[in-house]
Amino acid sequence: MQLLVYTTLFAVLSWLVLTIQSRRRLMAVSLVGVMVVTLVGVPQPAQAQVGILGGIEAILNVINGVIQTALTTINTVRTAMNNLQQLVVWPQQLINQARTQVTQMIGQYRGLMSNIFHIRLNSATLPMPQALEAVIRDHQVNNFPALTATFTNNYGPIPITTAASAGDRDMSDMDDALTLDNLKTLKAGDQATDIELQSADAIENSSSQAAPGSAPFLTATAITSAIHAQGLTQKLLASELRQEAARLAHRNTLRKENATDTTQLRGVLVNLLQHQ
Amino acid sequence: METLAKLADTTKNWMFHRKLRVAILVLVLIFTAPWPARAQLGLDPCCALLAAGLSSIQSALSKVIGGGLNQILSVDQAMQQFQQAVVWPQNLISQARSLVGVLQGNFNQIHKLMNIPVNSATLPLSQQLEQVLLSRNANDIAQTSGAYTALYGPVPQPTAASPQVLNMVDMTDAAAQAAMKRSIEIDALADLELQAADRLNQSVQAAAPGSAPIIEAQADAWLIRANAYTQSATADLMRLRSIDLANASADIKMGATNTTSLRQALANLLQHQ
Repeated sequence: MQLLVYTTLFAVLSWLVLTIQSRRRLMAVSLVGVMVVTLVGVPQPAQAQVGILGGIEAILNVINGVIQTALTTINTVRTAMNNLQQLVVWPQQLINQARTQVTQMIGQYRGLMSNIFHIRLNSATLPMPQALEAVIRDHQVNNFPALTATFTNNYGPIPITTAASAGDRDMSDMDDALTLDNLKTLKAGDQATDIELQSADAIENSSSQAAPGSAPFLTATAITSAIHAQGLTQKLLASELRQEAARLAHRNTLRKENATDTTQLRGVLVNLLQHQ
Repeated sequence: METLAKLADTTKNWMFHRKLRVAILVLVLIFTAPWPARAQLGLDPCCALLAAGLSSIQSALSKVIGGGLNQILSVDQAMQQFQQAVVWPQNLISQARSLVGVLQGNFNQIHKLMNIPVNSATLPLSQQLEQVLLSRNANDIAQTSGAYTALYGPVPQPTAASPQVLNMVDMTDAAAQAAMKRSIEIDALADLELQAADRLNQSVQAAAPGSAPIIEAQADAWLIRANAYTQSATADLMRLRSIDLANASADIKMGATNTTSLRQALANLLQHQ
């Protein structure tokens, strides 16, 4: 703005200086023009410094006030969080204590329980029962034919056709079959139990070195192992149900036969008495 | 070009004739033109104040903000180090994941063991019933009663036994058949549970420490469900044994009644003689 006014006035002055003919007028116009142009062209008093100092003071107030307070608060909160994590949520001392406890319990119980669990229970005294007992307790699933053979050696085969009624033979075959099914399932179950125990040992070993962040993996896989164990228990229970049901059915068949026999006997006796 | 040269000559002549006036204008222009203000060099007291102010800002920025941020940074670094080294150590997380993989191998072995065929019957009727019982297929449950009756016989005709015996026989058959049906059902459920457990374990293997508890919660739910099915099968086993005990008791009761009847019949017979 100042430059525009100055340029305009200087142009007017130039025009006057160049067009005036009289020397006296020239001097007068020049002097007046110089004064006017000087007044317009002189630099305006600067007021900026006062504003800048005020601004600096305001910035310093903000830094020392709001920002410092905020940073101090953030620092306090972060320190509190750090302390909470290190002293309350995941205290290193208790983490180590838990790991030590796992290790101690492994040492205290694992061997002891394993020894108890592996005590030999075989009790048969004669050769054939001993053979059967050995097979049914060997935790193996690759010797089912040997199981069938030793079972038959001990309990005999199904009577031949001429030696028993068809019903009795069928029932006897079913009893033997469910017994063998059960024994086979138990052999598989025994081996599965061994694997479950290995899994439990592996999980326990890992938990002795686990961190809070890795423990959820162990917990989750332990639970899936527990589901497997439940599934296995259910399989064994299903087998037990079949066997018990067959035993009950067998007795019930005998009851049915008794009823039929009694009815027939009564009829025979009545006939006999009528003939006398 | 000629025009320009002419114009220059004309201007030169014109200015030469008015050299005093031009000189005045040049001097006025030189002395009065508003030249741009030159930068202060720190010699002015105002500039010294400005420099001191800027220095204060720099000091405040360094001490207050820089110092505060450094403190926060050191706390954050401590937290990060603690979490990486103590809470979520990558090596232990990888170790736990690899254990999950090892256990999956154990589960596969258990599956194979549970799928070994155990059929042992040799005669047609018993083979038929055994096949149904070991089918692990809930759709085969409907065939149980037929195969059962074929092997163990039907309930006797009403004229063939006393109502008490008929009821007992029917109840016992019902309990036995229900238990057999339950065994098929529980086998099928166990297969599904094992399948689900495998899936959960595979999810655990691919999980992050933060997502593993979600899978764990689902696995817990499956475990509760599995417990419920186990209890249900146990309940059926108990029912079976209860019926067996009731049958034994009923036999004693009927034996007592029959003995009393026989005693009276014998007494009557002796009196008639």
